[in-house]
Amino acid sequence: MKCRSIKVSSTKLIAKLIAAIVIAFPFALNAATPNHIQIALSSTNEAVGWYEEYLDCERVVGRNDAVVCGETNIEFFVGRTVGGSQGSAIDHIGFSVPDLDAKMAELESVGVRGSGVRLIRFDDGALVRDIPGLFKIAFITDPWGTKIELVQDEAVIGFHHIHLNSVDPVAALDWYNQVLGGERASLKGMLDGVRFGDIWLLATQFNDGRPGITQGRTIDHIGFQVADLDAAAAEMNQLNVDFRQDPMVPERGRSDAKQAFILGPDGVMIAVVEPGWEGIEEEAFSADNSDSEELYIVPRTPWGEPDFQGIWTADAAHGIPLQRGVGAGEAGELTPEEAAARRERGTLNSIWGYDREWRDTTLGYVRSAPSTQAAMIIDPPNGQLPETTEAYKQLVANAPPRIPPQRARTPVDLGTYVRCITRGPVGMMMPSIYNNGLQIIQSPGNIAIQKEMIHETRIISTESREGYGDGLKTWLGDSHGRWEGDTLVVEVRNLNGRTSYLGSSADMKLTQRFTRTGPDTLRYEFTVEDPAVWTEPWSGMFNFIRDDSQYELVEYACHEGNYGMTNTLSAARTIDAREAEEADYQE
Amino acid sequence: MIIRLKPTVFLPFKAFLAASLLSISSIAQEIGNYEPEQAWDGNPDINGVWQAMGTAHWDLQDHEASAGLPEMGAIGAVPPGQGVVVGGEIPYQDWAIEQKQGPKWDSRPTGDPETKCYLPGVPRATYLPYPFQILQGTDKMMIVYGFAEANRTIHMNVENPEPAPLDTWMGRSHGHWEGNTLVVDARGFTGEAWFDRAGNFASSSLIVTERYTPISADALLYEATIEDPTVFTRPWQIRMPLYRRLEPNARVIEYKCVEFSEEILYGHLMKREESED
Repeated sequence: MKCRSIKVSSTKLIAKLIAAIVIAFPFALNAATPNHIQIALSSTNEAVGWYEEYLDCERVVGRNDAVVCGETNIEFFVGRTVGGSQGSAIDHIGFSVPDLDAKMAELESVGVRGSGVRLIRFDDGALVRDIPGLFKIAFITDPWGTKIELVQDEAVIGFHHIHLNSVDPVAALDWYNQVLGGERASLKGMLDGVRFGDIWLLATQFNDGRPGITQGRTIDHIGFQVADLDAAAAEMNQLNVDFRQDPMVPERGRSDAKQAFILGPDGVMIAVVEPGWEGIEEEAFSADNSDSEELYIVPRTPWGEPDFQGIWTADAAHGIPLQRGVGAGEAGELTPEEAAARRERGTLNSIWGYDREWRDTTLGYVRSAPSTQAAMIIDPPNGQLPETTEAYKQLVANAPPRIPPQRARTPVDLGTYVRCITRGPVGMMMPSIYNNGLQIIQSPGNIAIQKEMIHETRIISTESREGYGDGLKTWLGDSHGRWEGDTLVVEVRNLNGRTSYLGSSADMKLTQRFTRTGPDTLRYEFTVEDPAVWTEPWSGMFNFIRDDSQYELVEYACHEGNYGMTNTLSAARTIDAREAEEADYQE
Repeated sequence: MIIRLKPTVFLPFKAFLAASLLSISSIAQEIGNYEPEQAWDGNPDINGVWQAMGTAHWDLQDHEASAGLPEMGAIGAVPPGQGVVVGGEIPYQDWAIEQKQGPKWDSRPTGDPETKCYLPGVPRATYLPYPFQILQGTDKMMIVYGFAEANRTIHMNVENPEPAPLDTWMGRSHGHWEGNTLVVDARGFTGEAWFDRAGNFASSSLIVTERYTPISADALLYEATIEDPTVFTRPWQIRMPLYRRLEPNARVIEYKCVEFSEEILYGHLMKREESED
C-alpha cells in the first residue's frame, strides 16, 4: 500500500514535479527477470527523449512514460523526489557502450546547458578510467539526478547493471539470489554480483552509515517479473520477505497484471509484477485552485491590518515570461503539463551549468506547482509591452555596444546585479532561480518586505508621512504605502534611476499592489509609468506562494562571497595580457 | 558552529551574571521604575527607529584621538571616546590579544569588514553610526539596519531553537521577553565579523545574548553579553543606551555601500585608462 503511494504522491502533493525511475526486468521466482526501473522526474516526455538520445533506448510503443533499453524497461513517473540516486541503496545504473571515449567526448561536446547531462570527473580530472582487467568506466547523471555509469563491456552492449550500496554486500547479493533467482557470479572475476541474464546486480560496501532508502529518490524502485506472482509471493512469504504491498491489480494499471512490492536489503524498494505488466497510468496533476478569491477573508494582525506576514516564494512564478507569445490567444492559460514543461525549460536556462537535482532538492523547487499564467503582463490586455517612444528608439539606436563580461574593465561594466548591489526596484521582486524567498514582517503602520536574493529589504510605511526630499534618492526608493481595502498599494518614489528595467528611465514611476487572495497566495501587481520610454503605462502580475512550514530565508551574503567578480575581472585582465603579448609578437 | 562552554568556564560566568544583574538593577533604580507603553500583546512596545550615540563603532574600549588616513584630514581621524565594555577590559586569551593588536590592527584600512561593505554582524550592527528600525510582528521581530542592508529576523515563536543550519554574518536570533526586557540569543556566526574599527573580534563560537530594556519613552538600555571560549577567557559585556530618532520623518535609509568598497576589493583587477565610469 505504501508503495502505491509513491506514485500517487504526485497528485496528492499537487503537482510536485520530478519523476522517479522504475527499472523493470522480466523473471520468474528463482527465474525472475528484471522487469523495470522507475525514475521519478518532472517531465516523462522529456525523460523519454533524453534516454532515447543519450543512451540509445527506445520509446515503449504506445507510451510516453517508458523506454526500453535492451530487455529492460525504464519507466518514468512524475513525482516528488528527495534527492538523486547516489548514496541511496541503488546508487546507480550502468549502460555499456561500444566506444566509451567517443561517447564521453560526445556528451562533453553537448555540454550541460539544455540537455542536462552532468559529467562526473574522477579525482584526477579524467572523464574515463580504464580499470585493468575489467573495462573502461565513466559516470554521468541524467537531468533528474539519476547517477549513471557508462562502461565499455564488449560482452553486453546496452543496459548493463544495477549497482547497490549495502552495509553487507555479500548478504544483500545472497538475498537477491535467494528471493529473485539469478546466478551468483563474478563479473570478469573482479566484482561479485548476481547475474540475471545479461544484467548484473552489483553491490558496494557502504561505509557512511546506512544508505538512503530508495523510495522517493530518483531511482524509486526496481521491478522484477515472475511467471506467477501469487505462487512467487507464497514462496517469498516463506522466506520472510517484507511485503509492502500484497499482489493486486493497481487502480490505474494499464493491464490486468498484478503487482506487489517487497522491501529488499538496505531499503531497496522492489516491485514484483506478472507478465503483461504495462505500468500505471498517471493521473494528470493539476494546478492548485483551492484558493477561491471570492470566499477568502483576509486575516488581520492583532492590531487590525491585513496580515501578510510569513514566508512566501516566487518559485511557482519562475518561468512566466513577461510578454505573451505573439499570436497566443487572450485566454492565455497553460495546461499544468505545459506549465511544468515551461518551468523546466526556464529554470534550466537560468541555472546555467547547475543540474536539476540540485534545483529540485536543494532549492525545493518541487514544493509548488508551476504557475499556468501565460505571461506576466496583464495590461495592455494583449500581454505585450506597449510601443516604445520615438525618443527611446533613437536612444537605443545610438547606444554604445554592450561590453561583454570578458572585456569588463571595472565592476561597473558588469551591472548592479553581478555586483551584488541590486536587481533594481522592478527586478528585485521578480522570480529568481534560487533564493526566491520573500519574508514579510509587520508592525503597526509598517511592513518589512525582505527578499532573499541579495538580501534586499524595504520597509513600507502605511502611515501618511513626509517622504524623502528631492535631494535624497536611493536604488530602491522611498516606499509610500496605503491600504485600499485589503490591498496594500505602494508608490515608490525618489528612485536614483541608476538601474533600468527593460530600458526604463530615471523618471519611471512604479506602483505596486499586494493582495492576499487565498491562504497561500499573495497576488503581486506592478505598474510602470515611464512616458519617456513607453507610450502608455503597463502592468504585470504574478503570485507569491506561501511556504511558511518548511522554509526560512537564508542570509544571501552576495557581496561577501562574490568570487565571481574577482574571477571575471582577473579573466578579463588575462585576456588583455594575452592579446597584448600577441600584438607584440606580431610586431 | 556552537561550542558549549565547559563547566570550568561556566561557573565563573554564573558569578559574572550575578554581578551584572546587580549593576543592571542599580541602573534601573537610577532611571526609576519606568513602565513602557505596551504593544498589542502586552509586552513593551519597542517599535521604531533607534540609534546608538558615541564612538563604540570606532573602538569598544576607551580610546584617545588618533590619526586616520592622512588624505582625509580631520574627517578621517578617530575621535576620542569612552568605552562601553563593562569593567573596561576585553578578556582576550593571549593568542587573541596578539591577533587584535597585531594583524587585525595593522590591516584595519583594508581588512575591516566594514571597509569592505560586508554585513556587520552582531552586536556591531547595533552601534554603527546609522539608524535601525525594530518591527514587532506577531511571532517574529525584524531589525532592519541601513548599512549594507543588513537585517535580522528574531524568532519569538521557537522555544527550543535548533542549531543554525549554517553559519552566517548576522547569525540566527531567538528572542523572548523577561519582564520588560527583550532577551535575544544570537549565534551561528561565521566568525569573520569584527566588533569595531579597532580590530576587536570573535570566532564562530561566538554567542551574543542581548538585552533591550526600555528606560524611557525614547531610550532603550542595550546590553550584550559576549561569550566565545575560543577567543576570550570569560564572558564579558557591553552596555550603552539606544536613542529613539525623534525626527517625525526619521527613516532607515538603504545604504548600499558595495560600490564604495570595490576599489579596495578589486582595484588591482581593474583596467583604468579606458574606464569611464
